[in-house]
Amino acid sequence: MMTGLLRPDGGQVLVNGLDVWADPPAAKAIMGVVPAEVRLFERLSGEELLEYSGRLRGLPAAEARSRAAQLLNVLDLTEDANRLVADYSTGMRKKAALGCALIHNPSMLFLDEPLEGVDPVSADVIRRLLTRFVASGSTVLFSSHVMELVEQVCDHVSIIDKGKIVVSGTTDQVRGGKTLQRAFIDLVGPRAHDEEVLSWLGSSSS
Amino acid sequence: MARLLVQLKLRLLLNALRSSRAARVSFVISTIFAVLLAVGTFVALASYRGTSTSVDLTAVIFTVFAFGWLIAPIMVFGVDGTLDPSTLALYPLRTRRLITGLLAASATGAWPLANVIGLLGVTVGLASGALGLIVAVIAVGLQVLFCIALSRFVTTSLASLLRSRRGRDLAAFMIIPLVALYEFFTQVVPKAAAEGKITAASFTGFDSWMRWLPPGLAAHAIQDASQGRPGLAFARLGALAAVIVVFGWLWVRSLSRALVTADTTTQAARVRGSKLPLAGLGLRGAVAARFWLYQRRDPTSLIYWALVAVITAAVSASSLLGHDRHPAVILASAVFGAAFVGVFHANSAGLTGPPFFLEATALSSNRDLRAYFSGQNLALCVIGAPLVVAVCFGLAAAVGRPGIGIEAAPIVLAGLGAALGLSNLFTAGLPYPMAKRAGTPMLVAAQGYGAYRLGSVMGTLAGTAVAATPVIVGVVQTATDSDAIRIGVLWPCAAVYGFGLALVGVRLAAVAAAGKMPELCQVAVRSAMT
Repeated sequence: MMTGLLRPDGGQVLVNGLDVWADPPAAKAIMGVVPAEVRLFERLSGEELLEYSGRLRGLPAAEARSRAAQLLNVLDLTEDANRLVADYSTGMRKKAALGCALIHNPSMLFLDEPLEGVDPVSADVIRRLLTRFVASGSTVLFSSHVMELVEQVCDHVSIIDKGKIVVSGTTDQVRGGKTLQRAFIDLVGPRAHDEEVLSWLGSSSS
Repeated sequence: MARLLVQLKLRLLLNALRSSRAARVSFVISTIFAVLLAVGTFVALASYRGTSTSVDLTAVIFTVFAFGWLIAPIMVFGVDGTLDPSTLALYPLRTRRLITGLLAASATGAWPLANVIGLLGVTVGLASGALGLIVAVIAVGLQVLFCIALSRFVTTSLASLLRSRRGRDLAAFMIIPLVALYEFFTQVVPKAAAEGKITAASFTGFDSWMRWLPPGLAAHAIQDASQGRPGLAFARLGALAAVIVVFGWLWVRSLSRALVTADTTTQAARVRGSKLPLAGLGLRGAVAARFWLYQRRDPTSLIYWALVAVITAAVSASSLLGHDRHPAVILASAVFGAAFVGVFHANSAGLTGPPFFLEATALSSNRDLRAYFSGQNLALCVIGAPLVVAVCFGLAAAVGRPGIGIEAAPIVLAGLGAALGLSNLFTAGLPYPMAKRAGTPMLVAAQGYGAYRLGSVMGTLAGTAVAATPVIVGVVQTATDSDAIRIGVLWPCAAVYGFGLALVGVRLAAVAAAGKMPELCQVAVRSAMT
């Protein structure tokens, strides 16, 4: 809904002062999106996919190819550039999707669980690219259940429980001297279960 | 273990039935077909009694059943959890116990039972005397065991391949010969049989080589026992049992290997020339390039094109095979062939599935969407027009009237323009999620959207036929003119007319889609592509 892809029931979404639902083309032009479940065009190669994404965004073919090559290099995908996306691992798909989202140089990037299922090396590549992107003055908005990651890379945090924001502020404000994991559990409430019933667990007998 | 895996198979079946009404309907239809197969096969085999070619026909039917057992598990692989040995690899099971269990699971269900009941028709059609009956029952049992062992050996050997992308592509292509066979049996065989070209005697020669195949051994064992040659009969049954043991042993070996062998998915291929074509055509060129590559690389797209060719040929095949040939029916082939290009590519968002998101993030304005639809049409037209025209010329040449091909070509051009325009309109106006369903590698309408699919198919077929009518009238009116004039005037006129129709479709579809991109995205997200 924030990215102009699914129609909301009500409310207003402003991105860089642009009303997403009043002027979707203008809002989409400044955004990049990487959904949680990355589903890309499986029968294109990584290079073709990035070039296609750039050309969809109105870049001239030569510019799209040039940017695609640079992004593939930074994302450590150059060696696999002419392999089909269908044969990519989860980490490679995430990186390719990130490349698609960045190729038109958006000022706002939306990521949903960007490092879920990603190997440490790919995760490091993604993290460094995002840090560089943010340092240039752009904004990254991402959702994650991995509190350690959020704590490491985010300036501002909002915690959502049952569809409502329960707290929002700078990372330090939200964690309030604790770890973000602890703050999250305290805010959302621990879901304790009776562990007595698992008395057999851990014994050598079956 | 056998009991456990049989229970597992039954539990999977029950859970599937509980999951949706469509699954229950599908199960009922499947069971009805299994009953029809059992009764039909029993009656067919029983009816051969007293005919001179009964053993030949029995051998043919036994072989067809073995072929069915070979193909069916490959087609439904990934659906039946008891079929893939890797799902059981984590459990501490000895290979022998596992095989007993998998064998029992294979023999469980309506279709294996239908096989046994149907094949027992030989007790009436081929067997005579007490010994003949006993051997017939044993032969049927061994035949079904052979089918299971063969099927299991092939499935297990292919297990790692079929879990890979290439393997699934391979399985998907099997639908093409199956559709061609279906068309052959429904269009050609009844016609040939009605004209007396196919009789029981037509199968006489088959026996010379089929008798040495395992199904042939089973059929001949019954005949030998019935004609008082018990030694020969049991020798044949012994040979068949030996073949089953060999396949069983091969199965054990391939199963042992499959449980500890890595998935071949990682053995990926590289594509040549990794740059998108049509660089000078902007957004339209980018979309056309993507669709063009997909028509070459996506097995579902290749299957659609093969089906367009099969349908185009099949529409007029039965009329062309008869004594009274009506070459004009090739014009109907031209209309249907063009229409099915539209039918198979309507509902673009649903067919593209979740990756449509990537396109939706860039497509917003009316202009973008016009470029999107026209780019798609460009790629489809480049393949569709020559394909359908070539099939029409092939049909015309087959009946010795190549001139009919010249008449069919302008109809294809006009019909294709109409069909593509209509497919754009249905993409924007009647989008629906697609799904992959058990037993078919093809995409079908998701549960509850069958009426959308039907509306889209019928609308495209009827609309194309109506839109092509002026060109058909033009073809008829100029029937006495020379081919040079018809090619010089009729073809360009039809091409311009088809282009105009496609253009109207693109413009109307762009207006309709611009206001409902969120709905198209939802359809894409709900489409299951794997």
